[in-house]
Amino acid sequence: MTYLLKQLGREWRFMLRQRYVLILLLCSFLVSGFAVFTGLAEVAQQQQTIERLKLADAKDRLEAQAKYNDPGSLAYYSFHLTYSEPSNLAFAALGERDVYPWKHRVRMLALEGQIYESDSQNAELAQAGKIDFVFVISALAPLFIILLFHDLIASERSSGRHDLLVSTAKSKYALWGSRGIVRFVAVVLCLMVPFYLGAMISSTGFLTTLLVSIWCIAYLAFWTVLSLWLGKKLASAPRIASILIACWVLLAFVLPILSDLLINHSVHSAKGGDILLTQRETVNDAWDLPVSTTMDAFAATHPQYADYSYQGEGFDWGWYYAFQQVGDQASTDMSNDYRAAAAKKYTLAGYATLLSPPLLLQRKINRLANTDALAAFEYEQDIRDFHKALRMAYYPWLFGQKKFDKTQLTSLPQFEDSTHNYKKVQNEQ
Amino acid sequence: MNNKKTQFAIEANSLHVDIKNAPILRNLSFQVAEGEIYALLGGNGAGKSTTLKTLLGFNQPSSGKVFIAGQEVYSALDFIRRKTAYLPESATLYPHLSAYENVQYFLSLADIKKSEDELNQAFQRVSLQESAWHRQLQTYSKGMRQKTAIALALLREAPIFLLDEPTSGLDPVAIDEFNQLVRELASSGASILMVTHDVYGACQVADRIGLLRNGELVGEYDAPENGRIDTEQVHAAFAQRKAL
Repeated sequence: MTYLLKQLGREWRFMLRQRYVLILLLCSFLVSGFAVFTGLAEVAQQQQTIERLKLADAKDRLEAQAKYNDPGSLAYYSFHLTYSEPSNLAFAALGERDVYPWKHRVRMLALEGQIYESDSQNAELAQAGKIDFVFVISALAPLFIILLFHDLIASERSSGRHDLLVSTAKSKYALWGSRGIVRFVAVVLCLMVPFYLGAMISSTGFLTTLLVSIWCIAYLAFWTVLSLWLGKKLASAPRIASILIACWVLLAFVLPILSDLLINHSVHSAKGGDILLTQRETVNDAWDLPVSTTMDAFAATHPQYADYSYQGEGFDWGWYYAFQQVGDQASTDMSNDYRAAAAKKYTLAGYATLLSPPLLLQRKINRLANTDALAAFEYEQDIRDFHKALRMAYYPWLFGQKKFDKTQLTSLPQFEDSTHNYKKVQNEQ
Repeated sequence: MNNKKTQFAIEANSLHVDIKNAPILRNLSFQVAEGEIYALLGGNGAGKSTTLKTLLGFNQPSSGKVFIAGQEVYSALDFIRRKTAYLPESATLYPHLSAYENVQYFLSLADIKKSEDELNQAFQRVSLQESAWHRQLQTYSKGMRQKTAIALALLREAPIFLLDEPTSGLDPVAIDEFNQLVRELASSGASILMVTHDVYGACQVADRIGLLRNGELVGEYDAPENGRIDTEQVHAAFAQRKAL
């Protein structure tokens, strides 16, 4: 043990005298630190936005409740904030939160259009992506590892020291083993320390931090072993570096892009815009259709309100909300297909990660951080559940089965964010 | 299989070494006794460095065996490397470290602990000027770097020295000092195998010279009692190579 520590101590001191190694380590620390900092800032901004919206949402709803007295107007003018709060690991893996929306203000109107409205809004912004910690580890850290390890042996060969070093060392493990371990520990520390600081700031749980550490260290070890193995096999440092960089480009960029193209090519479904259009066209067409057409379609799914009678020639809230409901019903199949296709793409992407360690790491950590597509699907489902609960609360008032009393508004359902470990109830009313 | 032999400090028996299917050493046999200075003399491409690399275990012989301190090289590499001090032709130590730091680093690799005084004595013994001891090696001349590497070899206190063109880069005075040092080491019982193309230098210091040509040992020359090997004789044999 003492012998091993002595070897490691020597190589640690030796490493601290190598300027290019120190520069690489500093770069890796700064890049990781920057990613963690921007991740924390982004998460803080999302949390602030949610808090700000919660206050505004409660205020707006109170104003609407003060202004209107009938359930139809109240349902129409009251917005309800839904949101998916970032988890306390989201700072490290922002995941799909820049692709899928994490906040919606919904009304009692047809829902599918409200959910997919944002599909056509943020697509271009999502293209740029974000440099988060998991991106640094999965995509950039291999480059630091390659630069640190590809010539560990080759540089000694090219400078003529190799034979003297090997013939002097007590054993080859004392030399290459301790040199490799020291560099690995150094680069892992430089990359992970910013993450640990971020985890402390955002109160990430110990187990989660441990799991992220295990995944990251295993991933970095994969690139280190690959670099050392190739460095041992080949003599020329530029050749080793070229092969490793080719592997890096292939695994971190080419394979993910190809698999993405292949998955999108093989799995087809309606787009969010199509769902939005179908639902809106159904709602708009309903104005010109006979009332009975809408009411029959509504009663087919809500037989308890089948005996609701349309109130005269003019506008009627019951009819209005019935055709909103029918609009959602018209787009249900498309919406189900869309979600099934998204789930299938997610499953297929899981198979693709078996070919690409960088993708695998991203997927695992995004899952831990609850920022992946699954989390987005869960949030969408939460909105649907909430919207359904809201409809079920209003429908008895709207379709005349229950007398409306404004005091009953306090018993309206509240949105509950169930997309991560902190289940918070929005209850500002 | 018995891999132990105890007769000689270094022994090569019918050694054949091929590198990338090209025969480099052919049927090479020689022995170096305890306390003997053996010079393996040859021109460029004769196989001198390959011989040293094979003795250090870097090349695998296609046939034949090599023994160091009685042990077959490939059966006990760590043992062999503890018993030998190797001085490469171009002693490229770490340029960003001082002579002191270089020597300390390499000694630590070998798990050898030496005091500051012992390091100072080694530097003095190889005539490395004191003002340079703590300077980075990138400020050194080739000869000073060579002296640093020689100091390192001395500090290893190994019983066997393998020297690859050891006087390369040294000035005449330093060569004389080096030869004196080698003779002192031999008289204290160390066995020394040096490979060189310097006929004069080899004759000055060696007890025995083996002439290597195209990977084969084509002649051996012994120093007479209390005398030196005849330079002209060796030079004539060496020059034959040019004529071939």
